[in-house]
Amino acid sequence: MNSETQDFPANPQTVIPSRRQFLADTGLGFGALALTHLLQADGFSASPRTQRTDLTPKPPHFPAQAKAVIQLFHHGGPSQMDLFDPKSELQSRGGQKHPEKVESFQPGSEPNELMASPFKFSRHGKSGMDFSELVPNMASLADEWCMVRSMHTENNNHPQGMFMINTGKTFGGRPSLGAWISYGLGTANQNLPAYVVLRDPEGYNNGGSRFWTNGWLPALYRGTEFSSRGAAVLNLRPGVELPKSVQRNNLDLLAKLNEERRKLYPTDTRLEARIRHYELAARMQLSAEEVVDLSGESEATRKLYGMDNKATANYGTRCLMARRLVESGVRFVQVLTPVKGGRIAWDHHKGLKKGLSLMTSLTDLPAAGLLKDLKDRGLLDSTLVIWTGEFGRLPVSQHGNGRDHNRYAFTLLMAGGGVKGGYIHGATDEFGYRSITNRVSVPDYHATVLHQLGLDHRRLAYPHNGRPETLTDPDVSRAEVVQALLKKPAHI
Amino acid sequence: MSLASLFLRYGCINASLALALVISVVSNGRAEEEWWAFRDCVQPPLPSVQATDRISNPIDTFLLAKLEERGLTYAPATEKRTIIRRLYFDLVGLPPQPHEVSGFLADGSPAAYDRLVDRLLASPQFGERWARHWLDVVGYVDTVGFDVDENNIILGTDKWRYRDYVVQSFNHDKPYDRFVTEQLSGDEMIAWRGAEKYTPQIRELLTATGFLRTAQDFTHEPESNIPLIHYMVLHDTVEIVTNSLLALTVNCARCHDHKFDPIEQEEYYRLQAIFTPAYNPQNWRPVFPYKKELGERGLPDVALNRSAEIDKRNRELDRQIDQIKRDVADLRKPYDELVFEKKLAKLPEQIRSDTKKAVRTTDEDRDAIQKYLVKKFGNDLKITATEVDAALSEDDKKKQDELRSNSASLDGNRPRYGRIQALYDVGPPPTTHFLRRGNYERPGHEVEPGILAALSQEGTADLPMLVDPLGQTSLRRTAFARWLTTPDRPASALLSRVLVNRVWMHIFGEGLVTTPGNFGEQGAKPTHPELLEWLSAEFMHRGWSLKSLVRWLVQTSAYRQTTRRELPVPLAPAAAAVSDSAEGSSSSGFLSDVELGAIDPANTYLWRMRLRRLESEVIRDAVLSSSEALQYEIGGPPLLLKPEPDGKIVIDTGKLPTPDAQWRRSVYLLARRGFHHSMMSVFDQPSVTTTCARRDSSAVPLQSLTMLNDAFLIEQASRFAKRVSREAGSAPGERIDMAFRIALGRQPNEQEAHWCAELLEKQTHAFKREEATAEEIEHQALTQLCHTLLNTSEFLYAE
Repeated sequence: MNSETQDFPANPQTVIPSRRQFLADTGLGFGALALTHLLQADGFSASPRTQRTDLTPKPPHFPAQAKAVIQLFHHGGPSQMDLFDPKSELQSRGGQKHPEKVESFQPGSEPNELMASPFKFSRHGKSGMDFSELVPNMASLADEWCMVRSMHTENNNHPQGMFMINTGKTFGGRPSLGAWISYGLGTANQNLPAYVVLRDPEGYNNGGSRFWTNGWLPALYRGTEFSSRGAAVLNLRPGVELPKSVQRNNLDLLAKLNEERRKLYPTDTRLEARIRHYELAARMQLSAEEVVDLSGESEATRKLYGMDNKATANYGTRCLMARRLVESGVRFVQVLTPVKGGRIAWDHHKGLKKGLSLMTSLTDLPAAGLLKDLKDRGLLDSTLVIWTGEFGRLPVSQHGNGRDHNRYAFTLLMAGGGVKGGYIHGATDEFGYRSITNRVSVPDYHATVLHQLGLDHRRLAYPHNGRPETLTDPDVSRAEVVQALLKKPAHI
Repeated sequence: MSLASLFLRYGCINASLALALVISVVSNGRAEEEWWAFRDCVQPPLPSVQATDRISNPIDTFLLAKLEERGLTYAPATEKRTIIRRLYFDLVGLPPQPHEVSGFLADGSPAAYDRLVDRLLASPQFGERWARHWLDVVGYVDTVGFDVDENNIILGTDKWRYRDYVVQSFNHDKPYDRFVTEQLSGDEMIAWRGAEKYTPQIRELLTATGFLRTAQDFTHEPESNIPLIHYMVLHDTVEIVTNSLLALTVNCARCHDHKFDPIEQEEYYRLQAIFTPAYNPQNWRPVFPYKKELGERGLPDVALNRSAEIDKRNRELDRQIDQIKRDVADLRKPYDELVFEKKLAKLPEQIRSDTKKAVRTTDEDRDAIQKYLVKKFGNDLKITATEVDAALSEDDKKKQDELRSNSASLDGNRPRYGRIQALYDVGPPPTTHFLRRGNYERPGHEVEPGILAALSQEGTADLPMLVDPLGQTSLRRTAFARWLTTPDRPASALLSRVLVNRVWMHIFGEGLVTTPGNFGEQGAKPTHPELLEWLSAEFMHRGWSLKSLVRWLVQTSAYRQTTRRELPVPLAPAAAAVSDSAEGSSSSGFLSDVELGAIDPANTYLWRMRLRRLESEVIRDAVLSSSEALQYEIGGPPLLLKPEPDGKIVIDTGKLPTPDAQWRRSVYLLARRGFHHSMMSVFDQPSVTTTCARRDSSAVPLQSLTMLNDAFLIEQASRFAKRVSREAGSAPGERIDMAFRIALGRQPNEQEAHWCAELLEKQTHAFKREEATAEEIEHQALTQLCHTLLNTSEFLYAE
């Protein structure tokens, strides 16, 4: 193994590219910089693909339907039977006992009594997709959404559920979906990170940055937080105000000194990388700020995202930033909902009616605005939008007016990116407790998302502790691409 | 929460954990040949080499032999000013100060280098530097539990003592076999249970077992104090122990026989049985007390009889304080009434008694009318402490003050003791079972403690058991430590190889085995097998001295080579003869880049020294050293961290013992599983799950942004500039010279000095404004120069 140019974990069969190869890579932008290794296929049975660990664009395994993903994340477990999955039995038998003792997480559900949804449902679009009255704007785009009502996961506690939906397993330390996609495809714009996280500047969700981790993938695949307020990227601007030319002067000297050093190590790509990174730092000050500078957006667009309204402006700003990032070539954008309802804002153990109404009042319009805007700009076909939480909620009441966690059923929505619009997939039982028809596991969902980006979940692997690790771990999870969700036949 | 829901909550973690480890069906084709890592260590003879003038010690002989086989030889020795910097970083993790460099340069004696090595090995900073390497390996953190929320930091009480134990052990050059034995069984090496008083040795030995307390344990939450989690801690512990000491992936044998290495599932559980008397799933001590009667895993740092006395004394104090509280309440009671009645009197007379009754009834017992009354008048009738205080008579006020001050003084004078986060047998050994598919709910037959047959001389997995004459402990861990450390056996041979390889990696940038955490079939094979054997035997036979090992490595000519490629590599004479006749070879007797690239492009065989990026801690410490802010105080509680609103994680300056403490070395920053100090994480401090054998060394744009813009760098650059002005006076040339010597350990060349002078001029112009003095402007300009030097590749890479 070589440490001369080695920047990432060792693979015994690493090939050192020639300088010419290196320069060809870097010709694409800053990206190749750090790492110029071809991680060779190791003869693993899954024959993981040969993968260079940098951020230059990589060819997919097969033609992709989507170029980018926007994941709208609703931490806490949004209630499917109050938003997307109406249950007539539940409505008519409210107050009666659930026929089996449901699995609850916290105290408060002991009476095991069904609680009817306090919200009215109606059908929308040509497809007649049901939405509750809480999400009228999302409902108005019924024919764009692909609604998966038969999701299920493996644990009904928040951290485990969050790890599962983000990393494919219920425990920490593994890479998140966005990190895998960045690793698999690189990114189109070398002036911006591949994976951007937009959280409420008011605070983190519970668990914070653990959910956009690179795990044991190289650090450049970690989600980069862009702030929708102040400086877009951590340390993008100097910690103190400086006269205009000061940093430029420093960078000029630095470039000269670093170039002298590089000449002493003509084959060491790391030193070249560092030079490029300082150039990138300067470019990023422009690019990143440009991308988050919403001042050029029209009044109509701002309105579409609810930025004219105090309630929706917080989330709308991030949804609009998400569009701009995807437009600029970012591969994966994770948008977190406001923390106004708490650090686990969709966790309505009590006071569900009020709590869920609050959260949807902050998010329904911007989410719909994003979809409309992407569609109007012709970006929706190549952008997969995902609306999800980490699990669902129970049909029985908790404390008389809330619902506890449910791992056996939740609803996930997708749109664009080659998935069928106006399609409802799978079904839950009569009360919405368990998904029973066409069940979709979290690894199935991950396999499907990767597929739409042109990646085979069985082949996108990274060697870790003697094992070719994948996001879905298909031998164990039996993950499969869910063909029924897709417009075109799957490649695998 | 019901048991059922507890199970359901965690049942599936178990399932997925177990499943994650499942590797599909194996055709059992075990290699017949003995694996290199499992052999006895036999010291091979020294090979013969031609470049005898480059042999500083036998290590060079082995390295040169490999090079000469390929027609290569060492690069020239590097310059003195470079070697001192390299040595400082490797041995103490800090750059040399300018006077140290000039002292070394001025010392022309041949022994100057050896003296420098000895001085650095003796420096207390050596232990801090090397402790950090070990802390990575064992996955040390200061926190307990999952540690998934940046805002919620749950500190394990006094866990840092283990970190200090490691620092001290390295500083005292504790023999490695002893170091391992203490960490595995310190509690079994000395009779502490009945000790009248804890000696420093008892404390040290108990603290050493903190090694066995690094697994993720969140049994401080009642809902997590369940078998599933108990077994998780056991599994992680077996993984950490076997991986850190033996570089084996024994954990793969938890659910099935190891797919690649000769480790059977049965053996996995026999290893587990070594730890069940301490981590006893049937008699679990929570990591942290959530309920008094359950106790906690950590021990008092005073003798048990003493802590019992202190507890008793504190219970007595609690009783007295409670009594005072009651006395105060009694004293205030009539005044409470008085204030209440006054308020009540403001209500219409007809409802007064009903309302009074209503507010004095508990919420559940109130009828509808009472509820109404409370809702309507409850707030008006609330009495506050201030109102009651105001109503007190002078006399009673005095009495109350006296009582309260008594209580405070009782509380303030409590005797206290700290904790040692130790591991020890909690009682007689429980039975340990084979777990089918790794599932604790599917226990199979009973197993006895054992070891790995593949590593035992006798070829059996039986662990020779010992008996404690006092009957207080099972001595299983002692027996295990003895098995590991008895010289000239396959186990100690592997123990020695693994450590030698780790040290080699830290000195040369890459291990002789490039997978320091996996010496099994899936790992890399040694690049220099004979050298590794020779060195491992030497290390074992010469007292397991880490400092000696480090000394041997840095004394080699290999270590003292230049890192630069600019110098052509001369062919070794014999190879040159062969090469002369080869087509296309250079006629100069030197290898061209292309030729070299064909032979050993990755420098596997060390034909020059490797250029290495400094680790996160070293970068921060080097910045602090340049600015002279660095505090050299050793040991103690960690520097607490906090997340800022923008997501940056910084030192919590509100919780420092003194303001300057924030400039302590990075090894003292709070160690968490994630959420490291931002500068640490951006420069690859790893997140901690179990162990980390090898750090990444990435070059990502966020590093450049951090070095350019982080407030810490800006502040230190300003201090650095002040130091330069102080030490160099006001002439720009002198300043530039001094800034280079501090940051980079050398003087600038003419070209560089010229560029820097230009910068100073430009920045002076940029900062020029009416209200600023010339001195202020000069300082600002110089700060920019200093800051830029801290950003150079030269600063970040040890040459």
